[in-house]
Amino acid sequence: MKVKVAVFWGCCILTSQYAYEMSVRELLPRFGVELVDLREALCCGDPVRSVNNFAANYLSIRILALANLTGLTDLLVPCNRCHFTISEAKRAVERDEKVREKIVSILKEEGLEYNSDVKIWHVIDLLHDCIGLKSVGNAVVKALKALKLASHVGCQIIRYSDLGRVDDAENPRKMDELISATGAKSIDYNEKLDCCGSHLMLSHPDTALSLAGGKVKALQSLGVDGLVVSCPDCGLMFDSKQKEAGTTVGAKLNLPVLYLTQLLGLALNIEQEKLGLQLNQSPVEQLLSKISA
Amino acid sequence: MGLTDLMSMAKPNLKSREKILAKLGGRELVNCFQCIKCTSGCTALKLLELKPHEIMKLVNLGFVDELASSDIIWTCVTCLKCLQRCPQKASPYHVMIALRNLTVEREVKVPEAFMKAVSQILETGLAEAYQKVTTRKMEACDREGLKLPKISAPKESFQAAFLKALEER
Repeated sequence: MKVKVAVFWGCCILTSQYAYEMSVRELLPRFGVELVDLREALCCGDPVRSVNNFAANYLSIRILALANLTGLTDLLVPCNRCHFTISEAKRAVERDEKVREKIVSILKEEGLEYNSDVKIWHVIDLLHDCIGLKSVGNAVVKALKALKLASHVGCQIIRYSDLGRVDDAENPRKMDELISATGAKSIDYNEKLDCCGSHLMLSHPDTALSLAGGKVKALQSLGVDGLVVSCPDCGLMFDSKQKEAGTTVGAKLNLPVLYLTQLLGLALNIEQEKLGLQLNQSPVEQLLSKISA
Repeated sequence: MGLTDLMSMAKPNLKSREKILAKLGGRELVNCFQCIKCTSGCTALKLLELKPHEIMKLVNLGFVDELASSDIIWTCVTCLKCLQRCPQKASPYHVMIALRNLTVEREVKVPEAFMKAVSQILETGLAEAYQKVTTRKMEACDREGLKLPKISAPKESFQAAFLKALEER
């Protein structure tokens, strides 16, 4: 299979969650997906939405206009929050002619054009629905049978259903199926749909950290080998800030956290450096030693 | 100040309520029948005592000004569970965003981080600055060191366009 998709990374991946970007760039071409970067790096508008909803929609639609410049009609958005923000903006301009006209006229001043045909993908549905579980499974050269993992899908790619989301809102399975395709076991657990809290880092950082810490603490008591995430904000909370999160819930946390694309990369026997595994702050060695044996 | 304190002397203001409805672009909010599904699943309930059904009722009764000056509207985690589960499509999430927007318009207290993000976007296109990260072995690295491609900042024309968008309400 050969597909060419434009890719919009968003702030969090481009400025700090480099491991996610590295692993996406490394993994997807192995499935015949060619990634085309947009001309410019831009914010999706998420933090702006709380300040001015219109301006947030403008930023998102500007991204679709930048995608339009590539001549491609598929846009990969690996960040959950950007995926939601752009989807919301698309819905807003499709439902409200006034909003659309205003945004289109601002875009025009920059010589940009909105194209409503641009379809938005996330890593999960691109792998699961477009590439397909079978192809993913066939590409596995190193089955990760020793691993018992927990998936964290994140909030904003599964809600709200009316918007057309990546997976079911109450019982998302696609990420678990992708984990299973590597030979690893993906468990069900009570806290599966609990939020990482990242949005609160802007107004209530301690509470945000205790949400993340509480989830990791619960998972640790279940004896899983690791937590798999597919959103840079969730990665930031569960991996980069795991130690800090531990102090807010009075626990010593040491749960390996890795991106879905890193996990699949391991199953494809891609070098760890190339997947950015040296950048994870959680003790991923625990997990790596289990699969090297 | 808690919501109850703000409410004790309050008088409803239906004009402010209309402002929120205009921002929502629909009147589903009035269909809220207080089933409390939103609050029972709210991520911010346990830690920050956010009760979305109360917010819905207060807006419907016209106590918008009190909400707009309360810290409570800044406790939403945007997990979207309330909106997903609302049988009336009244969407507490969108009401929360509309209230936040109104607060900013009125120049009432707004968490600094949001305004900082906006000015950062104006300056660089991104809400955050490029960071140096460290490996677990404490080696510092940046995009270049990791062989990640450089992606340009928006063209100069962006700034004026974004400022124009920020003037809209």
